Amino acid sequence: MIKKNRSMVQRRLIPTYIFLGIVSFLSVFPLYWMATAATNSTVEVARGKIIFGTQLANNMQKLLASQDLWGAMTNSFIYALAQTIVALFVCSLAGFGFELYHDKQKDRLFGILLLSMMVPGVATMIPLFKMMSTFGFLNTVWGFMLPAISTAFLIMMFRQNSRSFPVDIMEAARIDGVSEFGIYWRMYLPVMKATYAAAAVITFMNAWNAYLWPRVVMTSKDAQTMPMLIANLAAGYSVDYGVLMLGVLFCSVPTMVIFFILQKQFAEGITGAVK
Amino acid sequence: MNKRHKGIQAKQERAGWIYLMPATILLVVMSFYPIIQAFITSFRTGPSSRMKWASPLIWNYTRMFQDKLFIRSVSNTFLYLLIQVPIMLVLAMVLAQMLNDKDLKFKGFFRTCVFLPCATSLVSYSLIFKSLFATQGLMNHILTGLGILKENYNFLGTPGSAKAVIIIALLWRWTGYNMVFYLAGLQGIEYSVYEAAKIDGANSWQTFWDITVPLLRPTIIMTFIMSINGTLQLFDESVNLTSGGPANSTITMSHYIYNNSFGQGVANFGYASAMSFFVFVLVAVLAFINLKVGDTRD
Amino acid sequence: MKKKLLSILLTTAMAAALLSGCGEAAPAPAAEAPAAEDASAEAEAEAPAAAAEAGSNSLTVWAWDANFNIPALKAAEADYKENVDADFTLNIVEQSQSSDIENAITLAGSSGDYSQLPDIVLFQDHYIQRYVADYPDAWIDVEDSGTDWSDFGAEKLSYSTIGGKHYGFPVDNGTCIMAYRVDLLEEAGYTIDDMTDCTWEKFIEVGEKVYEKTGKYLLSMDGDGNDLFYLMLQAEGMSQFKDGKPYITENETLVQIVNIIKEMCEKNVCYLANDWGDYTDQTIMGDMVAGVMNGNWIIPTIRQVAENSGKWEITNMPTIKGGGGYAANGGSSLYVTSNSKNPELAKKFLAATFGGSSQTYDNALRDGGVVTCCISAGKSDVYNEGVEYFNNTPVYAQIVEMSGHVPVIEQNDFHYSCRRYLAAAMININNGADVMEELKNAEDQLNFEMEGAAQ
Repeated sequence: MIKKNRSMVQRRLIPTYIFLGIVSFLSVFPLYWMATAATNSTVEVARGKIIFGTQLANNMQKLLASQDLWGAMTNSFIYALAQTIVALFVCSLAGFGFELYHDKQKDRLFGILLLSMMVPGVATMIPLFKMMSTFGFLNTVWGFMLPAISTAFLIMMFRQNSRSFPVDIMEAARIDGVSEFGIYWRMYLPVMKATYAAAAVITFMNAWNAYLWPRVVMTSKDAQTMPMLIANLAAGYSVDYGVLMLGVLFCSVPTMVIFFILQKQFAEGITGAVK
Repeated sequence: MNKRHKGIQAKQERAGWIYLMPATILLVVMSFYPIIQAFITSFRTGPSSRMKWASPLIWNYTRMFQDKLFIRSVSNTFLYLLIQVPIMLVLAMVLAQMLNDKDLKFKGFFRTCVFLPCATSLVSYSLIFKSLFATQGLMNHILTGLGILKENYNFLGTPGSAKAVIIIALLWRWTGYNMVFYLAGLQGIEYSVYEAAKIDGANSWQTFWDITVPLLRPTIIMTFIMSINGTLQLFDESVNLTSGGPANSTITMSHYIYNNSFGQGVANFGYASAMSFFVFVLVAVLAFINLKVGDTRD
Repeated sequence: MKKKLLSILLTTAMAAALLSGCGEAAPAPAAEAPAAEDASAEAEAEAPAAAAEAGSNSLTVWAWDANFNIPALKAAEADYKENVDADFTLNIVEQSQSSDIENAITLAGSSGDYSQLPDIVLFQDHYIQRYVADYPDAWIDVEDSGTDWSDFGAEKLSYSTIGGKHYGFPVDNGTCIMAYRVDLLEEAGYTIDDMTDCTWEKFIEVGEKVYEKTGKYLLSMDGDGNDLFYLMLQAEGMSQFKDGKPYITENETLVQIVNIIKEMCEKNVCYLANDWGDYTDQTIMGDMVAGVMNGNWIIPTIRQVAENSGKWEITNMPTIKGGGGYAANGGSSLYVTSNSKNPELAKKFLAATFGGSSQTYDNALRDGGVVTCCISAGKSDVYNEGVEYFNNTPVYAQIVEMSGHVPVIEQNDFHYSCRRYLAAAMININNGADVMEELKNAEDQLNFEMEGAAQ
């Protein structure tokens, strides 16, 4: 009886499976295409070949000869990691403060801070560049991440997630003599692990994929990042598509891996954000 | 006792403010200060090394509304907004509903597939879509192969279809992202709530409208604001996929602003700043309306 | 009590760590190196390093295109190392495109901080005049470099000479080639000699035949940037500008050219691609065309299709009245910035290499396909060798010879803007819009933009 029921349920879900199957295919196909392109020559790519070819080693050799791939990977990794750690700390602290110490004034301040999401990046580039050059931050990790550390989005995420944080425990802890920062450091931080994971995935992806701003502040050869390297490959009088797609592959894999690793926590963290 | 209690409260108060400080200071310095600078610049003209005040001061602003290309970019951007955002959010909601079905198998697999596009960088995905929709590209191979098209169609070279490709690309990249938020929200709703509704005789549509939507309200508002904001500031797709063409039929506001500040030989920062400020106000107004319409929390 | 005070202090300290870290770094960016930031520390070290090594023998240059300009710079470095100073090093920083360098100059000029600029930059010819005018403090002239400027084509030098002073060393030669697939011409019943000095009318006649017989277009072009107008106009000795103003609707030659392009597109003689990538990848590498007309830097793209080796030859462009057209497209030159700690070395290096050294130019040609602007360097053996891909004809010597014929026409800072508006007009015209109306729109928009920048 139960078994029959189950198969009936699954039968009801057939359209769902088909739909999800199609959507999944469409989502993954362009990425598959990118992977095949990395193994083909530029002429083959231009002609629309979509099966794996034999040019991978060749493309790799060309890529390494023309670009400092490992240098750019290392830079991107360090910058993105630094930005993620600092941003998580700063924004979680703010989200914690906004929600768990909230009053009218703070809510109003939060509303104002939300406005920063609406500032178009192009408009702030010149004033920011002037600032960075005055501080001497050009070509430094500070120049790279300072404008992106504190974002209304992350603060909002931590603020929303903090709603599930048990306030009673805070009071109890205070009575036990736990300091205010101790509450953040020893209670909030461990409880909010999933939110941190979700925020880390988002911040890391943004930092890793940032292009316009890094191009402006990171002028030195040794400060190049992966998106800059790809842009270098994509420009010029003639573009080698096989090599370009190999570069794109190298640029995409780390963020995908991070997503795979943190997938479960990511989902949980986002869940908290909207409870 | 009372005094002591007050002392503790004051300390808590202080701690609360201190927690906000780093983030607030950074936002003020890195976002608000530059936008004020941009606002001042929007009243100036000339090359950036020797700018002077415009006369009349609002010259850049009046100019904006005589600029056919700027108006074109505004209407393009709004077209993307009106078509892409609703489709994307509805699709994201549908997918989230499907994935939230407790009987569904391979949830993790489907979710990963749908989310994966978000992990690709903007530059990469623009390049991928450009190749797919090229005149000799794979899309044309498939459509002619299936007999849907008689001959290869120039998707990116025809104004209407070029806009469509941009919208498709945006859907591909961002639907999964929004879906994750909805799915998370749905998972937060206790199953018993639905059971109760079922017992009360509500059909699935009623359940959706009367239970799911109200409970997901904060999430929906958040995704709306993010999407509106993202679309009004759309840049990479316009630059990398179509370079705004053909004949400026796909150019977005941010792209046009960029063209006026960095994209071409003759920079006009005053004018670019005036347009940026216009975008800023536009986004702020729309977000404000959104919040007012949707927020129930005081 | 104490604990809480401590917690507040700690929080403040941690929050401030960020900012104080910045504060320390401000006076001496190179000195600041938190443990986790090795790479950035290295990066920081570089800018001061350039300064520290002033008087030594290293220069930094910014350039784009790893397959074209960068091999040319490497050839110059090797040349200088071999013949002048064995300890010399050239630090080449690759940029993704020319606009990266333009943006860097704009940012430096706007903020008054030129300290990040390298010794030498590669810069697009059509933009340099404007950038020297807007940011005069960013550049130094190279008058005293001891270069024989008469050895260069006048058209090329007209860009880098500003206020009567030489600022740049020409790198690549943008002279336009008209390349034909000889085998396909033959199939249609023509030879390359029929095409030399021909009229556009004749070109269309041949093009129709070629398309009919082989299914290939005789010409393709990037419809978005539209180099086509500019090249066709220049071949007539005309410009899109007259006395500093747009010269479009009243320019009868331009109107005539627009109509020729329209006719070519209708008759499947010419294919306008959506953008640059489409143009190179689909039309040229995708083997859609029997003819390619563009700056000679397009040759490496043509050569990507290995199976067509030996089937191509080049000649001059058609014109309205016939008699051989010559034009130039694109191209860039090297400029010394005011931030150079060692401008004498920079000038000396450039003069000894791009100033006329056959060794530099021979290797630049071999490794990058960069064709010299220097007339004497174009007479070397390397230039006169037959090129197998082009049916063993000495195409490079041919190009250098043609470069001498390119007419000097009126230039304008709004060159690329004009081209973009005209390209948009052309797309609309091909979609059925009225010619004069569209040209008027383009002219209005261009005037609008120029007004805005002039106020």
